[in-house]
Amino acid sequence: MIGEIARDVVRPILTGLKLTAKRLRRSKITVGYPEVKRELPPRTRWRHVLARYENGLEKCIGCSLCAGACPAKCIYVESAENTDEARFSPGERYAVRYEINMLRCIFCGYCQEACPTGAIVLRKDFELADYDRPDFIYTKEMLLEPLPIRQ
Amino acid sequence: MASLAQEPGLVTITIDGTELQVPKGELVVESVKRLGREIPIFCYHPRMKPVGMCRMCLVEVGMKQPDGTVRMMPKPQAGCTLPASDNLVVITDSESVIADRRGVLEFLLINHPLDCPICDRGGECPLQNNTLFYGPSTTRYVEVKRHLPKAFPLSRHVTLDLERCIQCGRCVRFTEEISGDAQLAFLFRGAAMTPRTFELTDLDSKFSGNVIEICPVGALTSSDYRFRARPWDLETRPSTCLECANGCSVWFDHRGGKMVRINGRVNDAVNEEWTCDKGKFGHGYLNAPDRPAKPLIRKEDVLAAADWSTAYQQIVAHFEDGRTAVAGLVGAKVSNEDLFQFKRMFHRHFHSPNLDHRWTRILPSQTEGVRGLHGIDEVHTRIAEWESVNAALVVGNDLASDQPMVYLRLRKAWQRHGAKVVVISERPTYADHFASAVIRCEEGKLFEAVARLSAAVLQNREGADALRAALKPFAPDAKDRAAAEALKGEFFTVCSESVYAKPDGGKTVSALANLAVGTDNAQRFNLYPVGANDMGAALLGVHPGGQGMNTREILEGCIQGRIKSLWLLECDPFALWHDHQQVQDALENVEFLVVQTSAPNQAMQYASVVLPCCAHVEADGTYTNIERRVQKIEAIWRPKGDAKPSWKLFTELMLRMNPSRPIFEPSELMEMIIAEDESFAPAAYHNLEGNGACLPLGVDAGAQLFMEIYQ
Repeated sequence: MIGEIARDVVRPILTGLKLTAKRLRRSKITVGYPEVKRELPPRTRWRHVLARYENGLEKCIGCSLCAGACPAKCIYVESAENTDEARFSPGERYAVRYEINMLRCIFCGYCQEACPTGAIVLRKDFELADYDRPDFIYTKEMLLEPLPIRQ
Repeated sequence: MASLAQEPGLVTITIDGTELQVPKGELVVESVKRLGREIPIFCYHPRMKPVGMCRMCLVEVGMKQPDGTVRMMPKPQAGCTLPASDNLVVITDSESVIADRRGVLEFLLINHPLDCPICDRGGECPLQNNTLFYGPSTTRYVEVKRHLPKAFPLSRHVTLDLERCIQCGRCVRFTEEISGDAQLAFLFRGAAMTPRTFELTDLDSKFSGNVIEICPVGALTSSDYRFRARPWDLETRPSTCLECANGCSVWFDHRGGKMVRINGRVNDAVNEEWTCDKGKFGHGYLNAPDRPAKPLIRKEDVLAAADWSTAYQQIVAHFEDGRTAVAGLVGAKVSNEDLFQFKRMFHRHFHSPNLDHRWTRILPSQTEGVRGLHGIDEVHTRIAEWESVNAALVVGNDLASDQPMVYLRLRKAWQRHGAKVVVISERPTYADHFASAVIRCEEGKLFEAVARLSAAVLQNREGADALRAALKPFAPDAKDRAAAEALKGEFFTVCSESVYAKPDGGKTVSALANLAVGTDNAQRFNLYPVGANDMGAALLGVHPGGQGMNTREILEGCIQGRIKSLWLLECDPFALWHDHQQVQDALENVEFLVVQTSAPNQAMQYASVVLPCCAHVEADGTYTNIERRVQKIEAIWRPKGDAKPSWKLFTELMLRMNPSRPIFEPSELMEMIIAEDESFAPAAYHNLEGNGACLPLGVDAGAQLFMEIYQ
């Protein structure tokens, strides 16, 4: 009777605990999100960013190729002409409105691929949850990189 | 030797091993299209003479010898300048042709900047397309490209980017061959060759917008459309331009509820593929931010938003059974259905005949017009017929402003077969440069000039003695006699109703009709209307018709208090009527003023009730152009705010006054129009697909002369 209990109950438990003990000696593979965040793979495609050149000018020229390439049709671009008084991008043209509907976006990265100036890039910020639907329309101001700090 | 039976006028050619018969002299670039193939082109345009400037259409060419062998030419030839002749052999897909195309494109791209992402042509650019299909995928050119001014304003409408120009000459040829103003020319040679205006003046053409469309690259772009959208952002819908009475077919491009641009749409019966600048750049009012979106009612000197039923209540109170104390004035951009329902409402429920759509100084009544005095129809010639006329008499304002498409056709007639054109006008006109005689008269002397020319024309002819005798007081001078030489045989007369804006307009028109009748050219007489649907309004009887008051009498009646309530349908009297003060007095004095409009106007300041109505792109409707072609315009957008199609508004009002079966569709109104006027029978809605339907022209009652004008 005791022999049976030892064989069918205690032994398997100990076998299992042995594995646990063995694993306990290894380093942890989970991280304490949200306090700790893991470095994501280099090709991660999450939140879009409109990049700037080092001198602070926007890379986006408002060409709307991203909107053309977008399979979810979630990008809206309206462009206008730069003047010497109000210059946003290096060339003649800049985006006066640039909006992405994040609810519709499927993060395929075609916009990034279509962009001739490398202005729209999908970076690693994945915490995109929000409470209201209108807040998921990301405007140009939200998407633009902050201005580089002048030394 | 030819395997196909030879028909006269046809030649047998071989394209890529396929034998086919084509008309002799047809250009190879066109013949290839018959096989469903394509030769890439830049400078060639089907409506202009070929020049072979870009070398994009190179093909291998040979001649079939009597013994059956083919002797090939040593070098490729340009397909756009090569007419088809018997036994011609064309090869469009050989290795060497493909290499030639690649080479030509590589050369073209040497100096072409690769700024496609910001170019307005990007996405619909022949250079992009041809490079994609026929060109090299990479460039070998690493040197510095040519740098020239970018975004140089050629005019208010056209922007020139010299770096992008590939020197195809389409724009230069357009201004020389089609529009005739010859304002663009090539300056310099080689890589420095640029299309420019002379002395850097503005490109001040009435047809400059077309060069934007025919430019195969983004060198000539529209200043209005500049950076507004990319082609794939746009929704493109077919429509008809209502800026004048020609009714050109256009593509209406819109984005996000805003009109973005107007492009010409191919319609060989009306505008071929051209547009005038008035039409191409004149639709900005559709984007006006302050278009009325709700009915407004005046409360204590302020127009306040109200609901429809209050507005209807007030209107019914003031208009119902108003008899001669109410009146309606109509603008040009109102559809046939709206006009018909407006007239019905006035006749049936207001019992008022006081309706008019005309705004010219002279308002001929039923018995005074061409039809009344001379018994002939106002219009006899269709637009497309003008390109085959041999002689024409152009009278009055600039034909290119009033009837741009008639002008283009007439110029084509002159260019193709040397049509003789006589111009009588007070001011320089576009048609002067190809006219064989120009009679320039003083302001207000148009009638005398026409009478003198009539006398000169009749000197060369037999018959019409009564007219010749009546014209005795008008002695022609040498210039008139020279001009009369051009009008020896059959000739067409063209005049626009804008001539009625001149003090002697009525007499001028009558003198022209006399000349046409007296020389047996009554079947070639044309007095074209100017406003978009003036023809429709005239045919549907939106005029006083004997008992009612005309525009002048209505305005005077408002001042004198005889007219208590006035309805302005899509018209701004301040912009249309010549006497500003009279309009102001009339609108200030009239008790109750309804302004029904799709765009804000000055008359709204005086309105008791403002009713928002749909613009032509917001409601289905038909419009009748100068050649009585009824064309259907379909709704492209939703109406602005609470705006309603006018016919619907009138129907709702009529239901309030007399409950009966309502009308749900404009097609029902067209059926009612047809039931009332047999001549509209071709315009039933099922016939209006495509280019619309033409109503009968030249319905003459029996031509007669009217001599009293010469006394």
